[in-house]
Amino acid sequence: MKKFLAMLLAIVAVLGLSACGKDDGLTMWCIATKSDSNRHSYEAAIADMEKKYPDTKLNWEAIENETYKQKIKAAVSGNNMPDIFFTWSCAFLGDFVKEDKVYCLDEAYKGFADKLPEKMCKNTTYNGKKYGVPLTMNIVGLFANLDILKEVGYDDVPATYEELIECCNKLVAAGKIPFGCAGKETWCVTEYLESIIEKSIGAKALDDIFMNGATWDNQDVAKAVDIFQEMIKNGYFDPDGISLGNDDVKANFMAGKYAFYMNGTWNCGEFAGKEGFNVKVAEFPVIDSSKAKLGQLIGGPSDTLAVAKSAKDAENTAKYTLELGQLICKYGYLDGCGLPAWTVDYNADSVNALTKSVAEIVAKSDYMVLFGDTAMPADEAGKYLEQVAKVYGGEVDGAGFIAALKAAIR
Amino acid sequence: MFGRGHFSLGRQSIMKRKKLDGITIFLFLLPALVLFIGILAAPLISSVVNSFYQYKGFGSKTWLGWDNYKRLFDKNQIPFWDSVVHAFILAGFSVFLQLPLALGLALLLGRGIKGERFLLSVNFLPVLISTVVIGQLWLKVFHPEGLVNSLLRVVGYLKEGDKNIQWLGDGQGKLLWACFIPMLWQYVGYHMLLMYAGVKSVPPELREAAKIDGATDWQVDRFVVIPSMKQILKVSVIFAVTGSLKSYDLIRIMATLQTKEASVPSTILMDYMTLRGEYGVASAVAVLLILLCFFFAILISAAFKERD
Repeated sequence: MKKFLAMLLAIVAVLGLSACGKDDGLTMWCIATKSDSNRHSYEAAIADMEKKYPDTKLNWEAIENETYKQKIKAAVSGNNMPDIFFTWSCAFLGDFVKEDKVYCLDEAYKGFADKLPEKMCKNTTYNGKKYGVPLTMNIVGLFANLDILKEVGYDDVPATYEELIECCNKLVAAGKIPFGCAGKETWCVTEYLESIIEKSIGAKALDDIFMNGATWDNQDVAKAVDIFQEMIKNGYFDPDGISLGNDDVKANFMAGKYAFYMNGTWNCGEFAGKEGFNVKVAEFPVIDSSKAKLGQLIGGPSDTLAVAKSAKDAENTAKYTLELGQLICKYGYLDGCGLPAWTVDYNADSVNALTKSVAEIVAKSDYMVLFGDTAMPADEAGKYLEQVAKVYGGEVDGAGFIAALKAAIR
Repeated sequence: MFGRGHFSLGRQSIMKRKKLDGITIFLFLLPALVLFIGILAAPLISSVVNSFYQYKGFGSKTWLGWDNYKRLFDKNQIPFWDSVVHAFILAGFSVFLQLPLALGLALLLGRGIKGERFLLSVNFLPVLISTVVIGQLWLKVFHPEGLVNSLLRVVGYLKEGDKNIQWLGDGQGKLLWACFIPMLWQYVGYHMLLMYAGVKSVPPELREAAKIDGATDWQVDRFVVIPSMKQILKVSVIFAVTGSLKSYDLIRIMATLQTKEASVPSTILMDYMTLRGEYGVASAVAVLLILLCFFFAILISAAFKERD
């Protein structure tokens, strides 16, 4: 009897193990966890795909951002990648492409070329070949609380840099805090600093530094950093910001503590959804008009889906991924989580007014520089963020910033 | 001849039995050996190997020799030694503040005071609460508009118009203390429970004999109880020191991975592994961390042996 039971257990165990390896549809990893603002767009898109392709089951798993970075790298290392995976554009995906782990989408793209503009694939094109399916895209916006601005005599967001400074002075004099910035999360500081640098030295010059190997040893960058620090010294920033996270700062802005908040346009849905919140989004004004102009933005498509080279029936999986990406983009746009990287061929009347105004800003733009920490390889981004944190903390000035980055990066 | 043959057969049988015993011992040890190699030895060896390479966590590796270690020793490149100093400060406070406090509580409760069980549970409660919850709780305490600054305003230390004190990041080291205070507070109960078990294991006859000889409560604790629980004290000191060197979770919640003010070796390790993708540097930190933990565990054991 004991032998029989042992045999039975062994058979069950073996069957269980074999079931693990059973070919059961496609697998996908992403970062749209239940608390992620993009969760709904993934769920809705996957539901649509399952309805359209009932024979193709998509087993998807959402993993928290930082854990995901380790998990996907371990999977690449162990040749154990899911068929479809979420990735960030530029250097992050580029590393996997270099290792020949990602399936080229050139053939599959041909069937979607009329819906996905070529320029949206720029950040996931390596050696002229496309490897990524862009989802929604975002830019950095200058969000303004119009009710607070009204208190100091402004009906609209100041259009020029001089007007913005004048407005900030009036706010400080009235005991208001112009800006909130989360010092505990350095990427929030980059939202300000990169916009100020871009509007001082021009988009092309900043893009060359981030993406094309131009030197950090640029006196105009140093001057822009000094402008940022001058704003901090003049009391334009909440002094408590240095020890706050982004959630706190955003909550403060929504509670009317700050007049302005520079952050990603993924916040549009949340801001627009708050009743009685009189908010407007604008572009950061030009600081040096001889080098920069309006229409030069920080941002662009970064959230991406890619197909593993090891994927089952890779060509069909590539087509499936493109279709899925298009749907995630659609639902993300309708939810106000970002702007569409894909052409809008559906009714988008329900999109909130704030997101629509961002779409107008993007439509008028002619240059987008991707967020520095996404554009640069991880090790360089780490050194860059380290120096940005020092700038906000007042540990280095403009000259120190460029000298440190020149030495550390190039 | 018969005798020699018999002897030879007997020897063969002993040899065979010894061989069988050896196989049996090996088979019994095998699961533990597999677990030891798979979970401890292999990752350790892999970390040592990776620490000599430039490695992104996947793809090819580039041999660097001692470069990753040299970078750790170069303060201008990686603030590793600052993080070790921070860990030592925490270890110092653990040993000289947290453990005496835990010992005091354990001795007090061990005397069988009224409400012993209740006080034991109350002091042990922070250990049972998730570190994430504790981190969030103390974040509220040290928030610029949180409990500490509010109290300072009530007592008049901060006057109207004064800026809030930035406990969670002013670049002057306050964040380090804001992280250490909850860490020390959380584990007092843990050490107290260990020591309480030690106090309770002292035979009551010894206490009674000392009392009959006229010893006070303090003298009983000093000359009878504490010497009897030397092994537990040793374990507590080892846990406190190695735990300080390995500290991570609360700092991760209250600060960021890239914090310099409150960096400890584990935050440097995770920063270089997850954010910067430099697995070689992260492995070098891991190797040094393991060596430091071993060194201090041996040192503390030797110190207690000496006293024995």
